[in-house]
Amino acid sequence: MPDWNRIVRERLAGLKLEGASEAEIIDELAQHVEDRYRELLDTGVSDDEAQRVALEPLTDSPSLVDTLRRARSRTAPERPARPVSHLGILLYDLRIALRGIRQKPGFSLLVIGMLALGIAGNAAIFSTFNSLFLKPLPFPDSGRLIDVNETAPRWNLKYVGIANPDFFEWQAGNTTFDALAFFRNPDFNLSRLGPAQHIRGAQVTRGMLDVLGLKLVMGRNFSAEQDRPKGEKVVLLGYGLWQRLFSADRNVLGRSIVLDDEPYKIIGVLPREAVFPDRAEVWVPMQADPQVHNGWGGAAIGRLKRGVTVEQASADLLRIHRHVTSTGKDVNRTITSPVLTPLRARYLGDFQTTSQVLLVAVSVVLLIACVNIAALMLVRSSSRAHEIAIRTAMGASRGRLVRQLLTETIVLAVAGGISGVLLGRLGLEAIVALLPDSVPRWIDFQLDARFAVFCILITAASALLFGLGPALQGSRSDIRAALHEAALRVSISRSRRATLNVLVICEVGLALALLISSGLLLSAFHKVTHLDPGFRPENVLTFSVDLPDEKYAKAQQNVAFYQSLLDQLRSVPGVAAAGAANHPPLGGHWGQFFVAEGDRPLGPGEKTPVVLQVVVTPGYFDAIGMTVLAGRPLGARDGLDEGHRVVMVNETFAHQHWPGANPIGKRIRYQTESKIDWWEVVGLLRNEKHYALDGEDRPAVYTPETQLPFPMSLSVVVRAYANPEALAIPARQILERMDPDLSMYGVHTMTEQIDQSLWARRAYSWLFGVFALVALVLSAAGIYGVISYTVSQRTQEIGIRMALGASPGEVLAGVLRGGMLLVGVGSAFGLAIALAAAGLLDKLLFGVSPRDPLIYSGVILLVALVGLLANVIPARRAARLDPMRALRME
Amino acid sequence: MSIPFLDRELKKGSAELLVLSLVEDRARHGYDISKLIETRSDGTLKFNVASLYPLLYRLEGRGWIQGKWVERSGQRRRRYYRLTAQGRKVLAEQRQGWRRFAEAMRRITGIDYA
Repeated sequence: MPDWNRIVRERLAGLKLEGASEAEIIDELAQHVEDRYRELLDTGVSDDEAQRVALEPLTDSPSLVDTLRRARSRTAPERPARPVSHLGILLYDLRIALRGIRQKPGFSLLVIGMLALGIAGNAAIFSTFNSLFLKPLPFPDSGRLIDVNETAPRWNLKYVGIANPDFFEWQAGNTTFDALAFFRNPDFNLSRLGPAQHIRGAQVTRGMLDVLGLKLVMGRNFSAEQDRPKGEKVVLLGYGLWQRLFSADRNVLGRSIVLDDEPYKIIGVLPREAVFPDRAEVWVPMQADPQVHNGWGGAAIGRLKRGVTVEQASADLLRIHRHVTSTGKDVNRTITSPVLTPLRARYLGDFQTTSQVLLVAVSVVLLIACVNIAALMLVRSSSRAHEIAIRTAMGASRGRLVRQLLTETIVLAVAGGISGVLLGRLGLEAIVALLPDSVPRWIDFQLDARFAVFCILITAASALLFGLGPALQGSRSDIRAALHEAALRVSISRSRRATLNVLVICEVGLALALLISSGLLLSAFHKVTHLDPGFRPENVLTFSVDLPDEKYAKAQQNVAFYQSLLDQLRSVPGVAAAGAANHPPLGGHWGQFFVAEGDRPLGPGEKTPVVLQVVVTPGYFDAIGMTVLAGRPLGARDGLDEGHRVVMVNETFAHQHWPGANPIGKRIRYQTESKIDWWEVVGLLRNEKHYALDGEDRPAVYTPETQLPFPMSLSVVVRAYANPEALAIPARQILERMDPDLSMYGVHTMTEQIDQSLWARRAYSWLFGVFALVALVLSAAGIYGVISYTVSQRTQEIGIRMALGASPGEVLAGVLRGGMLLVGVGSAFGLAIALAAAGLLDKLLFGVSPRDPLIYSGVILLVALVGLLANVIPARRAARLDPMRALRME
Repeated sequence: MSIPFLDRELKKGSAELLVLSLVEDRARHGYDISKLIETRSDGTLKFNVASLYPLLYRLEGRGWIQGKWVERSGQRRRRYYRLTAQGRKVLAEQRQGWRRFAEAMRRITGIDYA
């Protein structure tokens, strides 16, 4: 015989009546249950079944406990209620909430799943996006860091770099910066410390540490003397290099490393946070001469004084620049002027639009998740309004009910939140695995905790808003209302159904708009990757070799070195062609200004577009796979004859100077003051996508290496018959034989480089796609939930129809019609949003029409299909109803 | 089979009348009351432990019935409820009210509430 007293006491936990009274109730109820149990046993029911049936009325014990307590307290009003601790109440509410959740496992799982999906998707994607585009740089007070550059609209250049005199005048004259630093980001050959290696370094003025707000791990900064032209060769080691080369030896100061064949004394070690200039592993003094204007080769960064805006600083520098150039003779210095950009915007400026668009997407998905949960809670609370009305009628207080509903919602939100965050972390790992290596160093991928909490809060808030409201409506009804509640409920559910319909329409609309946007972006991505780049990237390996000026001081030495290297490469089995150029496609830019013979003189203020000059060796065009449209390619003998300089031009250059005419035989030269020989155009090349696959075509000229009066480091391009990666090993061996101090770097296949150049576009296109899919799944779940609810509300009506002769097919069609009407209206709404939003995307679409009919119709079809699927399940359930049972139901 | 509509209405509106009637002539314990309601209504009306006792406590609180613990050797103690003087008055009033209501229903609907 079970211990009924114990069981009943457990079921009525929380009764909290004065001791004797509680014991009496338990005694009495236990006796009743025991009587019932014995009676059931007598009728031949099994022991288990008898226990179950006898205890069944005690299942919904929360309300029973309430009722008993109130009934009892009226019996003995003179007894004061025992004070109950807050923790006790909380634990009690929690227990009840968990029980309520267990009672409806399907619904609870749906809510938790929906919350988890919404939170996971948003948190993962937002965190990726946040790491990429929003998080501040790893420097103290990084908002005050400003990129300083010069701009030259007349040359069609946004950024030209800074000339020495300009920088030093700005540094001396400004009143708006705490500190300014001038820098270059060159590469070095690091030798005589194990095998030669190529490293990225930086030449910086001594203000750089102050600008970035960093402190050295040890040692000291450059002195002013060391930063003067021809100053001492000293170096600050990067943290990573210090670890790698010297195993973090603290006695490294005073020792030397060899950069480009010259010894540099180590005077300090940079902190780990010194990730700017990008990827620099050593800092050496800039040693720039303020008096010498040798082009615009520098870059600068500044730290604004507190409270100074970018505009004020711009005006400040412009004032200095105007004052200096108005007195000078150099015309070029009046063409350029300072341009200031916040550091992050400068380096991630291209992503401005992207980040805005993605932020909108994050908000939309979050909105859909909220709408969905709202709909679900509305459904749930409707189904509970009845229960709540009865409990109110039986004496449960409103405060008590609200507290319990709150607890239930919070339990659901926490469960959904935790699974969402866990799922989100997995999602983030997956996304990071998909990103390429070329993402800038300072980016650190972490799940953004604040955003995850924000997601949980906002979804919980929507759950509360939509879950509590209707429930409270229910709790307001008194006993009389509860008695007439059958009539009441129809009207409540009618307005509630309208709300639900609006929610579903919004959901479908938002999902459709997102799908269309992501469809457009993915189609643009596809278009970019399938574009003819103007060269043949497959089976091509490129790598760079820098020749130090000291050893290869003369142009002839330089030419001879590359010629020998290329000859040896060509004899390697599997090599189809080999050549070299200063800047192969996607490999950088060397800008010059050219004039053509017969060009009319430029008017004042007229633009001279900057022209890309590519210096090439014989065989380069075959190796990279460019097409000669007219004339002939540059050969081995070109450039050797001082009296006959030759050049090839691309289509854009030819079109700018000789529109419609044959460029072969025309002559061009550098646009400079001094007289320089004319160069004859011997060939016309098809445009190559030099800067980016999704970049614009710009003018370019191609000149033979032999024609160059000074030595220049080149990148080698090797075309293989297959497996270009395999050529890296023989190439390295050849190079080591030629000069063991040289290192090859930047070893990549061309397809790899193309892939990497597109990482940002790929990242945001796919992120957007994932967003859209999450949105679609969420809204499908929303449609399913709402239609199921509607069907359950209409059970009786459907039953009557079927009893009156409606066939299951007609019922099915009826429900589907209702559901698909929502999908239809939602789609129309979404279409309107998508069309309005397309303008925002226009910049990213790379020529894909923002109204592309194929994508629009495809997405509409997809949404209709998913909507249909989500409708069919509840519709079939309705069609299978047994009319007799339906009619009997309340 | 229970009839949902009747079940609900009767429980809500007339449960008090049922209980008061059953303890009119003798004291009864809760299980006894619930069995009597079920058997005398041929199973149409059912009270279970969760619906009955709150009602009993409420009636006791109003002073219409009074509970008393009775112990018998070899058994648990049971609580027996009997009608108080005030309860007797209420019962008479409620009976009168229901009679009028049933008569009115009969005249209109033609249903005989025997």
